[in-house]
Amino acid sequence: MSRVEPAEWKLVTDLIEERFGLTFDGVRGEILQARLQPRLRAHRLDSLRSYYHFLRYHPDGEAELAQLGGRLTNNETYFFREPHHFELLTGRLVPERRSELERRPLRILSAGCSSGEEAYSIVISLQNAGFELTGPAWEVDGCDLNPDRIAQAREGLYEGGSLRVCDEDVRRRYFREADGRWRLRDRHRKGTRFFEANLRTPGGTLGWAVYDVIFCRNMLIYFGERAFAGLIELFGRSLRPGGYLLLGHSESLLDRVTEFEPVTAAGGVVYRKRAAA
Amino acid sequence: MAPNGPPTVAQRLAALDALPDDAAREPAILRALEDESPAVRERAIRLAARYVEPGVLGAMVADGADAVRRNAALAALECQGPYALPHLQAMLSLADEDVVMFALQILARIGDPAAASAVLPLIRHPQLNIAQSAIEALGRLRSREAVPELLTLLGGEIWLQLAAIDALGAIGDPVAVGPLIELIPDSIMAEPAVLALQRLADPGSLGPMLARFRLVRERNLQDALLLAIGVVLDLHGDPAPITQAWGEELRLDPAGAVASYLRLVLAAPASGDDLDAEERFRAAAALVACADIAPLVPVLLARLGGPDAPHWAEAVFRPRPETLRVSLDQHLVDADPRVRRGALVALVPEPEDAARLLPLLDDAVVEVRAAACRALALTGSPEASGRLIPLLRTGSPAERAAAVDGLARGPEELLPALAACLAPGTSEDEMIAALGVLGVRAYPPLEERILELATSRSMPLRRAALRAAARVPGSRAEVTLLRALADRNQPVQLEALELLVRRGGERTAVTLMALLGTGDSLRYHVIRALGHLQAADAVGRLHRLYPTSPLHERLEIIEALTRIGGPELPDFLRGRLMEEDVEIRRLAARGLADLADPADVGMFRRLARDPDWGIRNEAARGLAWCGAGDGREALLTLARDVEPVVARTARQSLDQLAGRSEPARQVRRTA
Repeated sequence: MSRVEPAEWKLVTDLIEERFGLTFDGVRGEILQARLQPRLRAHRLDSLRSYYHFLRYHPDGEAELAQLGGRLTNNETYFFREPHHFELLTGRLVPERRSELERRPLRILSAGCSSGEEAYSIVISLQNAGFELTGPAWEVDGCDLNPDRIAQAREGLYEGGSLRVCDEDVRRRYFREADGRWRLRDRHRKGTRFFEANLRTPGGTLGWAVYDVIFCRNMLIYFGERAFAGLIELFGRSLRPGGYLLLGHSESLLDRVTEFEPVTAAGGVVYRKRAAA
Repeated sequence: MAPNGPPTVAQRLAALDALPDDAAREPAILRALEDESPAVRERAIRLAARYVEPGVLGAMVADGADAVRRNAALAALECQGPYALPHLQAMLSLADEDVVMFALQILARIGDPAAASAVLPLIRHPQLNIAQSAIEALGRLRSREAVPELLTLLGGEIWLQLAAIDALGAIGDPVAVGPLIELIPDSIMAEPAVLALQRLADPGSLGPMLARFRLVRERNLQDALLLAIGVVLDLHGDPAPITQAWGEELRLDPAGAVASYLRLVLAAPASGDDLDAEERFRAAAALVACADIAPLVPVLLARLGGPDAPHWAEAVFRPRPETLRVSLDQHLVDADPRVRRGALVALVPEPEDAARLLPLLDDAVVEVRAAACRALALTGSPEASGRLIPLLRTGSPAERAAAVDGLARGPEELLPALAACLAPGTSEDEMIAALGVLGVRAYPPLEERILELATSRSMPLRRAALRAAARVPGSRAEVTLLRALADRNQPVQLEALELLVRRGGERTAVTLMALLGTGDSLRYHVIRALGHLQAADAVGRLHRLYPTSPLHERLEIIEALTRIGGPELPDFLRGRLMEEDVEIRRLAARGLADLADPADVGMFRRLARDPDWGIRNEAARGLAWCGAGDGREALLTLARDVEPVVARTARQSLDQLAGRSEPARQVRRTA
């Protein structure tokens, strides 16, 4: 790729923000550039401006753009990341709604689920807390922009990096080793569903107040202001009154006016959707 | 809106963007400068820069009652750039010392050298904070006229001294080298002085810095000096008399303090936590090579041949190949395979080295064997082909890749042996490897077979053969590439098109123009290819094609015609400015900006008021070529545009008008 002009950089990054809500400031700009370069080479284009024209106006541009979102997102995740959230889920959030959950299943969304590590960690936590025998049924949905990650989540086959905080005992208990990789045991897939979704344009898949808890951790940091605000509104519409939103440790709603109220729990802050007056 | 609450951030941002051009706009912007949301304030700052006069913002800076508002006003003044300059200079003479400090800081950040003369007198200000800010500003403004005054501060008050050292490094006048050296090592100013010397990177500083390097023992100062020495060696090559003489002492005393320090740096593993570690390693490597410090060479080679070898390993000994050569035999049989590999990677091979390299092709370690392949090929020795060709045919993937690389970089005498690798019945992998060499090195005697393989049924083989054919001169190869434009696979078509463009050739443009008549997806690429070929004969065809083409092709046609140039181009582009589609108008404005001259000032002033930022940005580029009159006024407005990209381009154009920078466009086209 030739030297990047600020104007053509803006054309492409504005388009990406408009479509996916993702922003690429500072060092992340270099990451974006590194991820775009192979795409330019693949289409034999020599500038970001040409690539922008391709995305916007070429008959094949829409297909390229749809795949681009998945290529740009950071799929870095692993099992039992920030474990206090799982303890909070089983120790407080589920018991709080116990009477309601006698009549319907517990519904949890893992937003930006990548290859499913978070969703499966939720299932394992619920099983370990004994809910399989005495508690409510559950549905754990995972959605992500990247179809390849969704396919991987459905397959449940992981490299060692996804199990980086799992000791030998945990690995043996929940996984089977297969050619140097780790396959999640079938019983821990119980109640999971994975689907592709662009949270910027979720269509009909989200926005219905069905979820009790939404996990959206370490994803909002990649969103621009407008997309961030839009996403929080979407989560608000997707949660039942009194439902919880769990964000990553570096994400916060504390300086914003939203329909969530902060709740101190498990040594951190989670956000509860206000019940209707 | 949040339920029963105030407007959300998104709504407040939308309201700001929708402000009408009337008397209510300024108060709304000023209110938004105090908004609780950083995102809203950020947007308000851009709008204030564009629509609020510096005097109003300056008054907000002076009113320190609300820190949020004051900081936003400071940021807006900075965004106004050169437009705010006269007002900021006037602020320097106000009695309020805080305001003077703020004005100095903004002037420094704007970076317009025109401000330096107003700032200079303030370095003697009785209020030390103001004097310090003035010194820092002069550094940011790179004001050479300030250097004599700054040098007088080196013996004075400590904070002013530190600021002056930093400013002298930023300004980069070699006059400062001597006074800065004097501050090493017996001064708390030593480390800042070395940092300044590193920024100066003056070749005259190398000798004095090496002399000080021998004396210092404090690790931080050693690190700083090593980095500074490394930068000078990088930028100014091999000042042999200085480093050679300096290295003598280290050769005689390899256990001394300096040698021990360098050994530590060379052996330190790469670390993500210490960002300077790689730079120190590079500096130590350059110093060991230039100063010929033989006892440290094996330590260096172990890093150059190790798993975390730097990409610049091959270049370390280029300035002084004999440093490595004198002990090469010893390194090539070192028990440590990293040293053996490092020696092979860093060697600048000569034909007489071949004999000593051949045994390394049988080394027990594959990485060493691969490095030996490359080194052997680079010797250009006839013995090389006898050993490399078998590796290309039957070696491991690493050896095969090294053999391809080596043969591609070696002398032509090695290439005839490739015929055997292309013979019928040879494996496809072997043929592709051989064609990989011929895709880099032209070798016409194998043309017949290359062209035959370019029609192979295997797509990878066809592509490799086409790349090799593109290197062969003459019309047969050109015809083969042209035929590949009709290949059944589009990746092959596109590869052929790219190779043809790179190769040029008489028939290429004619054939490509014929392909414009087809309506398939290749036409989009053909249009671009004609632009890259600068095919003047295609201009008429492209003009005729334009009205009936879909938008993505029209954009390519405009790009192609702009590349080709020609007398019709300015009128064609002006016509496109009249179209409705914004992308078409942007490209037209872009093409016109490349052709701009003073007669176009009226057009660019109109474009400078366009609602679209992309067109305003092109206007800012074009106005740089329109002279300093009306164009400058329009640029001052654009320099505080709400879109940072436009403001930045306008400032570059203002610098260009003032003769302070190169043109913003790398290639200026002519019609």
